[in-house]
Amino acid sequence: MTRFTSSLLASMILGGFALHASAQETLKIGAVVTLSGAGASWGQAMKNAAELAADKVNAAGGLDVGGKKYKVQIIPYDDKYQAGEAVTVTNRLVFEDKVKYIIGPTGSAPILAVQPITEKNQVITSTLGFTDKALSAEKPFSFRPVNTTVEFAEQQVNWLVKSLGVKKVGAMFPNDETGQVMARDLEGAYTKAGSTMAAKEFYERDRVDFVPMLTKMMARGMDAIDINGNSPATAGLIVKQARELGFKGKIVRTGGPATTEIIGVAGKEAVEGMIVYAVLDPSLPSTKAYMDAYAAKYKTSVNGFSPPYYDFTNMLFEAMRRAGTVTDSQKVAAELENIKDFDGALGKLGWTGKTRYGINHQLAVPFYLAEVKNGAEVTRARCTVVEGCK
Amino acid sequence: MNWYLLLGQATVNGLVVGLLYLLMAVGFTLVFGVMRMVNFAHGEFYMLGAFAAYVLMVHLGAPFLLAVVLTVVIAIVFGSLVEWLVLKPFRKDELNGMIVTIGLAMILQNVALMVFGPDPVSVPAIATGASSFLGVTVANSRLYVIAFAVAVLVLLYVFLRHSAVGRGLRAVVEDADIAALQGVKARLYYPLGFGIGIGLAAIAGALMAPLFSVSPFMGQAPLLKAFMVVILGGLGSIPGAALAGLCLGLLESYTALFLESSTADMLIFILVIVGMLAFPRGLIGKGEA
Repeated sequence: MTRFTSSLLASMILGGFALHASAQETLKIGAVVTLSGAGASWGQAMKNAAELAADKVNAAGGLDVGGKKYKVQIIPYDDKYQAGEAVTVTNRLVFEDKVKYIIGPTGSAPILAVQPITEKNQVITSTLGFTDKALSAEKPFSFRPVNTTVEFAEQQVNWLVKSLGVKKVGAMFPNDETGQVMARDLEGAYTKAGSTMAAKEFYERDRVDFVPMLTKMMARGMDAIDINGNSPATAGLIVKQARELGFKGKIVRTGGPATTEIIGVAGKEAVEGMIVYAVLDPSLPSTKAYMDAYAAKYKTSVNGFSPPYYDFTNMLFEAMRRAGTVTDSQKVAAELENIKDFDGALGKLGWTGKTRYGINHQLAVPFYLAEVKNGAEVTRARCTVVEGCK
Repeated sequence: MNWYLLLGQATVNGLVVGLLYLLMAVGFTLVFGVMRMVNFAHGEFYMLGAFAAYVLMVHLGAPFLLAVVLTVVIAIVFGSLVEWLVLKPFRKDELNGMIVTIGLAMILQNVALMVFGPDPVSVPAIATGASSFLGVTVANSRLYVIAFAVAVLVLLYVFLRHSAVGRGLRAVVEDADIAALQGVKARLYYPLGFGIGIGLAAIAGALMAPLFSVSPFMGQAPLLKAFMVVILGGLGSIPGAALAGLCLGLLESYTALFLESSTADMLIFILVIVGMLAFPRGLIGKGEA
C-alpha cells in the first residue's frame, strides 16, 4: 500500500468516525430531583421516568430532530429537597453542563428558588412542587406534569363527604411552602363540601414521632385523618402510629400517590381500608405497560409520580421534533404548550391552567380514588379536574 | 378534652423519645470522652443498627431480643474495627477527626442507599395492642422499648461502675494521660470506647426501628438532637447526657401537646439556649464554660 492510499484510508476512517459522531450528537437533559432524605422516593421516581423515556428513544437509534439523531443523556443531581442545593445544582446544569431542559425540581421551595435562573436562561423546568406560584404567565418556561391539591382536592373531598360521610377531619402538613399550600387548599375543599378540618398540625420534615399530635387529634374526636401530600415515609409513620394508638376512623390520602411506600412503613394491616388518591389505573394498557417496564428495569414497583414524568419527557421529545430544534428552547416551549391529546402512559393528555395560573402549563392528568384492600389499590371512583369523581 | 390522660400519654411518649436521645447522647459522649472526637457519623451508626435489626428480623427471621443482642455485638466489633483502621491517626485531633467522621457519615449513608435503596422499610412491631394504666392508653410496643432501653442502661451502668474494663474506660474518659500514668493501657481503650459508643447508637436504632421506619437518612435528625443533648448535659459528662436526654424527650412531648408541633420544635431550641445560658458548663458539667 502506498503512503498515499494508506493516508487516504486513514482519513476516510477518521472521517467516518467524525461523520458518525456528528450524526449522533448528545442531547443533555438535567434532572434536579430529591435523591436523599424523606422525599427521595419521589425524586427517584422522576429520575427513573426520564431515564426510561431516554432509554426508549436511544434504543430506537436516538431522537430524530431536524434530520439529526440525538442520543439522550439524563444528568441527575440531588437537591436534597432544599432550595439552596437546588440553586447550586441548577447553576451547574445551566452554566457548566449547558442544559436547556430540566426534569424537576421536586419540591416547591426549590422550584421557586431556581426559577430566576431557569426563566432568564430559557431553560424548561417541570416541577412536582405543589405551590401555585410555580406557574404563571411571567414564567413561560415552567411546566408542571402532575396535578396538585388545587386540581384534585375539591373533587375528591366532595366524594369523600358524600359517599363516606366524612365530617370532622384532622390533618398534618410539613411546615414549608408545600405544606402551607396543601393545608389552605384542603381546608377550603372540606369547608366547601360541608365538612370541617377541625385540626391541622404543621411539623418539621425530619420528624418521625407523631404520637403527641395524634393523641391531641384523637382527643378531639376526628372521624378521619387526611395525610394528603406528606412524604411517603412520613405518611407511613403517621398511619402506623395512629393505628398503634387505637385510631379506628378513616384514614384518607387525598394527594401524593405513595400507597406501596406507605404499606412498606406501616404494614398491610394498618393501611387496610385507607382511601387514596391514585394516578394509576392498571386496567389501562398503556399504564400497565409502563408499570411493567419500570418494574423490569428498577426491580421495584412504580411510584405514582413516575408516569407523569415519563409522559412529560416524551412530550418534550415530541415538542422538539415539532420545533425541529433542540437548542431553541423558546420554540420547544411553544410547541410543548400546543400539544393536545397526547397518547401517554396515563392516557390522553393535554395542558390546562389558563384560568387558574394565567398560562396553560399545568398537565391535566386523569386520577382515581382507590381503597386499599389487602395491600392493593381497588379503584372506587374515576375523576377528572372538570367532571369530578364518579 | 381530658388533660390528665393527655399528659399521661405525653409522659410515656416523652420517655420513649427521651430514652432514644439518652442512648444516642451517652454513646456520643463516650466517644468524645475517649477520643476527643466529635463523631458526626454517630447518626449513621444509629441507622446501621436499625438496618441490622431489619435484616436480622425480616430477612433472617430472628426474634427481636436476639436481633438486638446481635446488632450490638456486630456494632461493637464493627465500631472497634473502624476506629482501628480509619480513625486511629486522628485520635485527639478534634478538627481533622471531625472531618473524617463527616466523610465516614457520607460513605455509610451512600452504602446503605446502594444496598437498601431510598424507600423506607419497616420492622414488625415487637408487640401488638395497647395497655391501660389509670386510664392512660399506651401502645405495648412502646412499653417494651422503654423496658429494653432501661435494661441496656442498667447494664451499661453496671459495666462502667463495677467491671475493671468499665473503670478503665471511665478513667480514660476522665483524663487519658493520668490514666496512662496509673497503668491503664489507653490505646486498647480507644477502639473499645468507640465500639461501645457506637454500639449504643446501634441499640437505639434497633430499638426504635419497630416504632419508626428505617431508611438510609434516618440518622441525621437524632444526631442533631444528640448533639444538643450532650452540650446541654455538659460535654463529656455521661450522667449529664443521660439527664439532658430524658429532659429533652419529655420537653418535646409536652410542648407538642400544648403547641403546634413546629412551634414546639422552635421552643425547644429556645429552651436549650436558655438552659445553656443558665448552666454554661452543662447541667452536670464538665463542659467548657
